[in-house]
Amino acid sequence: MEGNLQNNSAVQKFSNFCGKVGNEVHLRSLRDAFAMIMPLFILAGVGTLINSVIFPWLFKGQTLANLQVWGTLISNGTLNIAGLALAPATGFTLAKNKNYKNPMAAAIISLAALIMMMPQKISLTLATNAKPVDVTGGLSYANLGTSSMFSGIIVGLLATELFIWLGSIKKLKINLGDKVPPMVGESFNSMIPSILTASAFALVGALLAVFGQTDLISLIVKIIQEPLRSFNTSLPGSLFIYSIGNFLFTLGIHQTVVNGTLLDPVLLINMNKNMAAYNAHKAVPYIMNKTFLDTFGMIGGTGSTICLIIAVFLVAKQKSSKTVAGLSLVPGLFNINEPMIFGFPIVFNIPLMIPFVLQPVIGILIAYFFTAIGWMSRVVVYIPWVTPPVLSAFLATGGDWRAIFVHLLIIVIGVLFYMPFVKISERVSAQNAVVEN
Amino acid sequence: MAKQTIMLNCAAGMSTSLLVTKMQQAAESQEIDAKIFACAAGEADAHIEQEQIDCVLLGPQVSYMKDDFVKKLAGKGAAGADIPLGVIDMQAYGLMDGAKVLAQAEALING
Repeated sequence: MEGNLQNNSAVQKFSNFCGKVGNEVHLRSLRDAFAMIMPLFILAGVGTLINSVIFPWLFKGQTLANLQVWGTLISNGTLNIAGLALAPATGFTLAKNKNYKNPMAAAIISLAALIMMMPQKISLTLATNAKPVDVTGGLSYANLGTSSMFSGIIVGLLATELFIWLGSIKKLKINLGDKVPPMVGESFNSMIPSILTASAFALVGALLAVFGQTDLISLIVKIIQEPLRSFNTSLPGSLFIYSIGNFLFTLGIHQTVVNGTLLDPVLLINMNKNMAAYNAHKAVPYIMNKTFLDTFGMIGGTGSTICLIIAVFLVAKQKSSKTVAGLSLVPGLFNINEPMIFGFPIVFNIPLMIPFVLQPVIGILIAYFFTAIGWMSRVVVYIPWVTPPVLSAFLATGGDWRAIFVHLLIIVIGVLFYMPFVKISERVSAQNAVVEN
Repeated sequence: MAKQTIMLNCAAGMSTSLLVTKMQQAAESQEIDAKIFACAAGEADAHIEQEQIDCVLLGPQVSYMKDDFVKKLAGKGAAGADIPLGVIDMQAYGLMDGAKVLAQAEALING
């Protein structure tokens, strides 16, 4: 059964191709950079939960307002510097993945390059007056946070590439002779690539400002970030990409190869904007975001396998199926399901590949429906992906009880959906056992 | 200081850490003195630089990183040899079969 699919050359080619693309150094560095700054987002999520859910339950009036200053400060140091943090993180991970000897130097130059791209004039609102005014001589959270996330990545990658390339050119190295301590020469040798990289970025920024009356951040938002975000976070767009990623996992390759690259950056932008709006008591802009997709499409792990585990307990007859399900139950409560994927197995097991790819789609559609009709609150809290089912839905929606019912409904439907496929899978493996003996 | 150090890598190091526990139990019962640990593939470099690792095993879900790891591990082993590398068998990984994966590591170490 599995052998046929596993040895199929087209399938092999497809999974090798995906593996190669996903492992491409820039895409890998992007994912590593996100992993590096993830604690900031989780912190923002915890801050949001305490600030906008727990405090209002316990306090009122001026006490509440005073307490919420704390949450605002957390937002400032997390969501509001997402782009600023991503630039050096991306520079660092790319330099590290390219085995450049000094990744920190690449991080610093990436940070400098991003700041060089910031507009000269920013529009801010006065504390005493709601009318925005143009000011100079500062950086605004608007440009350092969510809206420069893509700029941070792109500038980080480009600046680091340029920096490493310039550093590899022999002609740019200064030879001070052998009387001078080697370290002196070294310090010059990393300075020249830094100066040239910075000059190039400053020149681009200056040209855009002088001749285009614009800046790179706004351009990247307009030309790359927004088009990508609006397609990849639309309901059909995100479901399509998500399903491809999940399908890849049925061939044994981790879904983050696709989803971490194409979905996470744009879904995190939505997530951050939702958190910021919720913290500021404004209308929450998006239904679809990172935690929404994880919470309703990845219950118990990719493929919503907690439903499969329950289905196995209910209808499986083979001892081996039950053993793996038993072994996978506790990790599954924390959304870790490799034991199910490789042990049951789901990989190369056609009857189970079908619900594994489709159940997340069903779950997301149900949750989307209930959110769209306004019955369930939008997802506003970024929670760690290991948050157990049901609790995850409750926390992610900022403590909405109705989300628990939606989550349970999805799980029940998922169990019913997985059941027939468990039976088919057992029948197929029983037949194979007969053939083999 | 254990006699051998075995490093396991997967996407986040989460599920592999479960396997580590099972492998440690297997090592104890076979009286093998080994330090076994798991980490995310992204953190592998730091460990390779910091300590003497005798064997690296990749979780099947990151098997596509194998070529990368071959480069990473070249010449990093004892006496300038390459650190042996293997991809954990899917079935053994799924069933969290510590003894089987440990045997795979031992076979790699004893080459």
